[in-house]
Amino acid sequence: MQAATRRKPTAFGRILVLLGALLLPLALTASGTAETPEGLPPTMGPPQGNLLMSGNQAEMWRAVRMGISGRVSILDEKAGTLVQSGGEDLRAFRNGPLSSGGGWLLLASVLVVSAFFAYRGRIKIDRGKSGRTVERFTGFERLIHWVMACSFIVLALTGLNMLYGKHVLLPLLGPVAFAELTQLGKYSHNYIAFAFMASVAVMFVMWVSHNLPDRLDVQWLAKGGGLFAKGVHPPAKKFNAGQKVIFWAVVLGGFSIAFSGICLLLPFEIHPFAATFKILNLVGFALPTDLSPLQETQLALLWHGIMALLLIAVIIGHIYIGSLGMQGALAAVTSGQVDENWAREHHSLWLAEHRGEKVGGDD
Amino acid sequence: MLSKRSNGTVKASRLSQAVAGMVGTTIDRRSFLRNSGLAAGGAALLSSGGPSLVRRAEAAPPAAAALKSVLSVCTFCSVGCTIKAEVKDGVWVGQEPQFDSPINNGAHCAKGAAIRDETNSPRRLKYPLKLVGGKWTRVSWDQAITEIGDKMLAIRQASGPDSVYWCGSAKMSNEQCYLIRKYAAFWGSNNVDHQARICHSTTVAGVANTWGYGAMTNSFQDIHNAKSIITFGGNPAEAHPVAMQHILIAREKNNAPFIVVDPRFTRTAAKASEHVQLRPGTDVPVAWGILWHIFENGWEDKDFINQRVWGMDKIRAEVKKWTPEEVERVSGVPGAQLQRVAKTLVENRPGTLTWTLGVTQHTIGNNNTRALCILQLALGNMGKEGGGTNIFRGHDNVQGGTDMGVLCDNLPGYYGLAAGAWKHWSRVWDVDYNYMKSRFASEKLMESDGTPISRWYDLVLTPKDQLDQPDNLKAMVFWGHSVNSLTRLPHQWDAFTKLDLLVVIDPYVPMSAIMGDRTDNTYLLPAASQFETSGSVTASNRSIQWREKVVEPIFESKPDHEIMYLFAKKFGFEQEMFKHIKVNGTEPFVDDITREYNRGMWTIGYTGQSPERLRLHMANQATFDKTTLRANGGPCDGEYFGLPWPCWGTPEMKHPGSPNLYDPSKPVAEGGMGFRARYGVERNGENLLAEGSWPVGSEIKDGYPEFTMAMLKKLGWDADLTADERAMIEKTGGDASNWKVDLSGGIQRVAIKHGCAPYGNAKARCEVWTFPDPIPIHREPLYTPRRDLVEQYPTYKDTRKFRTPVLYASIQNQDFAKDFPLVLTSGCLVEHEGGGAKSRANIWLAEIQPEMFLQINPFDANNAGIRNGQKVVIEGPEGGHIECKAWVTTAVGKGVCWVPYHWGEAIQGKDLTAKFPEGTGPIVTGNPGNAVMTYGYDSVTNIQENKVTLCRVRRA
Amino acid sequence: MARMKFLCDAERCINCNACTTACKNEHDVPWGINRRRVVTLNEGKPGERSISVACMHCSDAPCIAVCPVDCIYQTEQGVVLHNKDLCIGCGYCFYACPFGAPQYPQASNFGSRGKMDKCTFCSGGPETSHRPEEVSKGGYGRNRLAEGKLPLCAEMCSTKALLAGDGDEVSNIYRERALVRGFGSGAWGWGQAYQMKSGS
Repeated sequence: MQAATRRKPTAFGRILVLLGALLLPLALTASGTAETPEGLPPTMGPPQGNLLMSGNQAEMWRAVRMGISGRVSILDEKAGTLVQSGGEDLRAFRNGPLSSGGGWLLLASVLVVSAFFAYRGRIKIDRGKSGRTVERFTGFERLIHWVMACSFIVLALTGLNMLYGKHVLLPLLGPVAFAELTQLGKYSHNYIAFAFMASVAVMFVMWVSHNLPDRLDVQWLAKGGGLFAKGVHPPAKKFNAGQKVIFWAVVLGGFSIAFSGICLLLPFEIHPFAATFKILNLVGFALPTDLSPLQETQLALLWHGIMALLLIAVIIGHIYIGSLGMQGALAAVTSGQVDENWAREHHSLWLAEHRGEKVGGDD
Repeated sequence: MLSKRSNGTVKASRLSQAVAGMVGTTIDRRSFLRNSGLAAGGAALLSSGGPSLVRRAEAAPPAAAALKSVLSVCTFCSVGCTIKAEVKDGVWVGQEPQFDSPINNGAHCAKGAAIRDETNSPRRLKYPLKLVGGKWTRVSWDQAITEIGDKMLAIRQASGPDSVYWCGSAKMSNEQCYLIRKYAAFWGSNNVDHQARICHSTTVAGVANTWGYGAMTNSFQDIHNAKSIITFGGNPAEAHPVAMQHILIAREKNNAPFIVVDPRFTRTAAKASEHVQLRPGTDVPVAWGILWHIFENGWEDKDFINQRVWGMDKIRAEVKKWTPEEVERVSGVPGAQLQRVAKTLVENRPGTLTWTLGVTQHTIGNNNTRALCILQLALGNMGKEGGGTNIFRGHDNVQGGTDMGVLCDNLPGYYGLAAGAWKHWSRVWDVDYNYMKSRFASEKLMESDGTPISRWYDLVLTPKDQLDQPDNLKAMVFWGHSVNSLTRLPHQWDAFTKLDLLVVIDPYVPMSAIMGDRTDNTYLLPAASQFETSGSVTASNRSIQWREKVVEPIFESKPDHEIMYLFAKKFGFEQEMFKHIKVNGTEPFVDDITREYNRGMWTIGYTGQSPERLRLHMANQATFDKTTLRANGGPCDGEYFGLPWPCWGTPEMKHPGSPNLYDPSKPVAEGGMGFRARYGVERNGENLLAEGSWPVGSEIKDGYPEFTMAMLKKLGWDADLTADERAMIEKTGGDASNWKVDLSGGIQRVAIKHGCAPYGNAKARCEVWTFPDPIPIHREPLYTPRRDLVEQYPTYKDTRKFRTPVLYASIQNQDFAKDFPLVLTSGCLVEHEGGGAKSRANIWLAEIQPEMFLQINPFDANNAGIRNGQKVVIEGPEGGHIECKAWVTTAVGKGVCWVPYHWGEAIQGKDLTAKFPEGTGPIVTGNPGNAVMTYGYDSVTNIQENKVTLCRVRRA
Repeated sequence: MARMKFLCDAERCINCNACTTACKNEHDVPWGINRRRVVTLNEGKPGERSISVACMHCSDAPCIAVCPVDCIYQTEQGVVLHNKDLCIGCGYCFYACPFGAPQYPQASNFGSRGKMDKCTFCSGGPETSHRPEEVSKGGYGRNRLAEGKLPLCAEMCSTKALLAGDGDEVSNIYRERALVRGFGSGAWGWGQAYQMKSGS
């Protein structure tokens, strides 16, 4: 791991630090030392001992380090940039706060879940199973859920492999097997991403009306969703506030990850950050808005990682509560038939509404 | 217009074949560095890297098939960089730097480093092709030669031999150049020419008429000795990159100021200490502006002028008119700057003056070149190490081509076209003079200049009754010449359409093959590149290097001299023409050709460079000093690399060659000499011979005229002649025989024995009384943006030259400036050369310089609403127009635009790429810059005006 | 063991692109891959400088740091090499590289941009025994270091601007030049201070 601040941060570096500060409170500064002199990219600049290096030349090299662009005759404008310092920032942030912070975050997520399990154990249906079931999710809804779930898991694992694989799997598998696995992972990541994106989009259309926040959510949250005590069951409609949080995390996080992912699939083509920063600057930020295509892509890469790690952390909780953490919950997305008592305890209003409709339908 | 016509794949197999062998042939970089004396201070200037403590192949593979190293010479520019080719199983697989070469020290530019693809490119013309009903059809060599020959004989019958034009090439070797000139003579026409016409003809004319020889006086390496360097109209950083190595060494080692006079802030200017930005076409005012300060302050070298220069007083009178104010008014260069330039040149002597096409390609090109010579004469910089006029020639063998007389107004060795010249060469060729005469339409046409290549189309398009030859041009042979480096392309198109027969002989398919509305009677013949044959090549500094054959001709290509033989045979004069040249099958033996011109080129000392001596030099490159070019020890001890001409006398005389022309500090036998006595001994009662200056060791301690037998007798030196020499001289012309026609070389040998230059010892002349402007004066370009100057500095009256009318005043009298407000000038790029047929078909060069563009100043761009990178249309006053990308840059001044001219796949908006034969043609295509360039020809040599016209630019 | 380095003397570089084509020629580098390129700064203005740039074989190479499969490595001579067998074409090295050295056969990452390609300091890769079959395998080109030669780009540089070799030697050459020079931007202010000849 390299130092997060190997050298004086540039404006671009400051953005990353800012992003890190905003999004990764857990980010830790990893240790490491810089081998090159202050302010110089490795091996760049005149060699040591050039006593005649002048103000002029120094100024040019400074400009070069700031990433000024020159002219090249080949048809690749990016090639005109002699030195880009964003890469050093990318490396520092990715190998520093992002990977260490992300690691801590995931660890924290698992720890929180474990602690919760230790404290609360498996949440049982208070009244036991009624034996009667009610259809919670249709086949289509479940299909969408699982497409999303499976794709997400593949994306998460292959993504995590890109960040951590060489520390975790490489020593186990050896370079060749690991490279092949990672190559496969990269292809999977690039293509399965579309399944994820599609499922998020469908889910959004399908469930958005059920996920609009309302007053019940406040009540539900005030009671901690009833998760921390036996017998407490705040009323909820089809989705309780906790599930709504997951929904919006998946929708917003998923969109954000998907968008930055597309930026990475078509590198240097899409430039969302400058535009975003322009807007942010209106509300008091001071972010640079003259980003090169390469800087845009670097930001996309980091943003992709940050959001993905956050979403993974959230989804760990979701998976826990939807499976091991709560009796009867898993059935909602497997058979789609949930026990009536479970439904009564966790989605009382939905059950009532569901029944009412059903009765009404029978009339 | 840009198309990428090849996707390029990794050719690893070819490389891998080579690797096995390569691992074995380790080259010890340490020894190279030791040779170049890295340990001693200063050598760092020449060094390319530290000795590497590199690992050796630990597991060396079993010795694979031998990898052969072959030395050749780059076929792009005239610097003459040695190419070290690595050949395996007859395939050219790699290039290595030849650090031993004193010319380039292993260095190359983009072109030289990519030259392997010139031979190996799949875009080459692979077999003879013929246009049948608009379709390219493959034919055999036999059929091609027979059909072309029959058609030509029919034209000869109907219109005379002058209706066929043989355009040779500066890409040929000396032997091929010599042979094509001889061949044209046997065909019976002076309508033969080559690239020398369009690049430096005004240099050759101007310089030769000032002091004797029309060539670079010193060498690239001698620039190491310069205390100052001034470049006019040249961009060596792009056109002669390896020359920049030597300039930068002088700049660093001697702290030499480097002054660049150019309308553009070029890459060369970026390395200069002073950039003089003049309006295109005002070189004479700037030269005179510098000289004004020199004369005004008495800074001229008075001793030098008194001893070795005639006519400086008349220059003084002309220069007096060019006050700083007037210079600034005409050229735009601030007076104070030229004062600084003058002072710098004066304080840092000897300084060298270099120029290239920015000076030569003007209607007053010959005035420009002479003015610059005079500037160096006034500074006393001539005939000195570190001084001289270092004129950088263009193509790799354009110096040799010029020397070999591939010109419409000369025979090999600048003998001219008079009866005496023909008789001399008839003697050398061992053919009857009357036979030669019978080959021509008339004795008058035999002795009168043909039409230069710059105006070949005028010979097609001008009404017959206005020509000084029996008929229009009917058949055109482009034997290695591009047309997009000529001006007036839309006119050329019409000429192409009108031709009865078009033959293009080239390794690549150039623009000439796709010009004109032609459906038949068009032939493409694949020539081998110079790497597929052997022969000698003359670099800009007059050093002659020998190229060994790297690979056998690939595809169905044939070397040029073999194609000449095939045609000669078809026309039935092969017996006479190859009387003393052995022919192996159908390929003439190259060494015999060298030996033949060795026997005839006495004027410029191309007589001592036998194939054996040249090969010896190539094999012992390491023994030559990298600054003086002189061998120190070894088999060539004391000789200068490549025996730079004049290398007097016979090969047996072992003259070492002349490193710096007109340098009296060396004995003639060691390469010294005074100025040539070429213009008589006196003019209007004034002595034209040197006074008080003579080469070291001369027994005549004063000026003297050129040597004749009579003079030898008068001096009593004829006793030194051998019996054989004397017999030969008596046979040639007795007492009237001079050093130029004495085939025995006796007169030269004896003169040199007594320390005298065979050509005499005279003064350089500032006034060339045979030229339209005896004293170089400024004249505004035909298409001038400055109407206010036309009255004071008008161009010439319309006249006739080279068998055709030439227009001047009738064009300048019209005001084009109001509709075409911008000045357009042109130049070249480092990645391409000339018409670009081979560089743009080179996959590596094409990729790194893929697009045609226009440089325009931000001021003019903003006025026209043009942004960097946008497509623009450039329109010229003669109706030519092109489209390309705009490059908005301060490199060009306000009101000036610049285009490179290497592209050529469109004419007047019509894309011609589809006309290339399948699989041939360039990889990247674009519009030809010269389609906008307009009328205008130099008053002496008819070089075309490439450097000043007018245009307007708008968004496409 | 020598530490290999490149150094481009901007006072010498004239943007002639010999380095670019020498590289392509030596290794048959395909169209679109530019292991080396020349950049001109302040084009068309006084102070214009050109610099030839390729992989600089950094001491603490960012590409090595970010490579997710660890396919980039540094030899004991300091040459940063890359194993095409392992490369997954993710592009991270390009994002991280200060010099824009990594190149890919395809621009898009859709599916794959192909295996990364870059300057090898003319020492091939990935293995070190330089058997022909290894050299040909990944299209790395020829291994000149093993032949006792230096990178061809530097060896063929028209003005000897581009230096390659042992870092100390290269540095010495440059320093010696700078001392000899003492003009222009190489010694800004000297002209005024010591009344030296024109030059800046």
